[in-house]
Amino acid sequence: MTLTDDELVARSISGDAESFNELITRWERPIYALAYRVIGREEDARDVCQETFLRAFRALPGFKGEAKFSSWLYRIALNLCRDWIRRQRRAPVVQMPEGIDPSELAAERGPVESIEELVGRRQLSAVVEEAMALLPEEQRTAIILKEYHGLTFQEIADMQGCPLSTVKTRLYQGLTVLRRHLEKSGVGLTKVEGVASSKVAGQITPRLVKR
Amino acid sequence: MMSETFTCGDHGALVSYLYDECTPAERRTIAAHLVICGACAEEIVALSATREQLATWTPPDAQLGFTVSAATSKSHVLRPARWWQKSMPGWAQAAAAVFIFGTGLTLGALRGVSQPADSALQRSAARALGSSSAASARNDANAAPVTRADLVALEQRIRSEMSQSHAVSQTVASSPSDERILQRVRTMIDESEQRQRRELALRSAEMVRDFDAQRNVDLTRIERTLGQMDGTTGAEVAQQRQMLNYLMRVSQRGQ
Repeated sequence: MTLTDDELVARSISGDAESFNELITRWERPIYALAYRVIGREEDARDVCQETFLRAFRALPGFKGEAKFSSWLYRIALNLCRDWIRRQRRAPVVQMPEGIDPSELAAERGPVESIEELVGRRQLSAVVEEAMALLPEEQRTAIILKEYHGLTFQEIADMQGCPLSTVKTRLYQGLTVLRRHLEKSGVGLTKVEGVASSKVAGQITPRLVKR
Repeated sequence: MMSETFTCGDHGALVSYLYDECTPAERRTIAAHLVICGACAEEIVALSATREQLATWTPPDAQLGFTVSAATSKSHVLRPARWWQKSMPGWAQAAAAVFIFGTGLTLGALRGVSQPADSALQRSAARALGSSSAASARNDANAAPVTRADLVALEQRIRSEMSQSHAVSQTVASSPSDERILQRVRTMIDESEQRQRRELALRSAEMVRDFDAQRNVDLTRIERTLGQMDGTTGAEVAQQRQMLNYLMRVSQRGQ
């Protein structure tokens, strides 16, 4: 039987360390991904991830369950990321991926993905990472929380401590900057038509046509 | 709250539509606008494409696996190891061992010095402090002055004990016989040869595997390239046809 986060939290509060370990197993990857995307450094993201769970474990008795456990973790992680950025007092350094080795790619490619597609995806990922590093912290965080963690506008607004309309503006401005940068890098809309046009052609265009 | 009518330039509403986080009525309103407004439709398409590209960004794999232990107290859980809990490097351990050994040797040598010399030091210290207590006065009265001969005797005693301990360590070091040493050397040579053989076998296997992987990659690439060349023409035709259909429908709606 799979326990919910709330049930595991309740057990953890009563002293069951294994339940907290289960929560860590569930959430350490998303928290690490969030930290990495916000601060852009692998080692520091690991530290932030570890510190997030340490703080959560310590503060667990005070967790009243008013928000989701995951939202609570995200908030802790974001605060730590913010502290890290303040300490650094400079833009996050993006770790560009190392040279692409076809033999490595062959080992990790999926059954339906060609080598060329995989190389293209790696290159695109590097360009996206580079573009994200250019955004102001608030816009970058809003986009990360929305795109990669699926939070609602209201949840992001609560985490960032700003009105809901501000979240939408940050998302719009951030996406617009990213779009321009990606177009400049040669992976704009023309690239999407070939690689990732399923959503555009399959969902939006028909809707435009129907109405 | 979004109004029932949508105006161009309402980026917040467009973002709500983009992320499908609006009411059905709002969605219908925006969709109706997108049909008649090319600029907004183009913007939505472009932002959707950007979102698709964002999905390609994945963070690198990391070794995580944090756990808490029931045996440890809360204050130690998940905390990075403190410096005194971390394993010391070899040179630091060696330096610490030498320091402790030296300190112990010195203390041991001093402890071996005769009590009179020790008490003489105490007495001289008490004298220097100028203690006025009766006990100190008695000690002071009975005290014999420390002479140069005492110091020379102390030095000789320390030297003799240090040389004895050195001789003992040399005896211990030279105790293994030559045969045992030779046997040990042979064993080490054998182990080294075995290690080299294993390493050679491992390297050979790696080379074969790398070569095979590279060959597979090349073959796959050639195969995919040929397939793509076949499919490109058909895909372009289908795409152009789709675009023409779309333009036709949009122009009909506009009329």
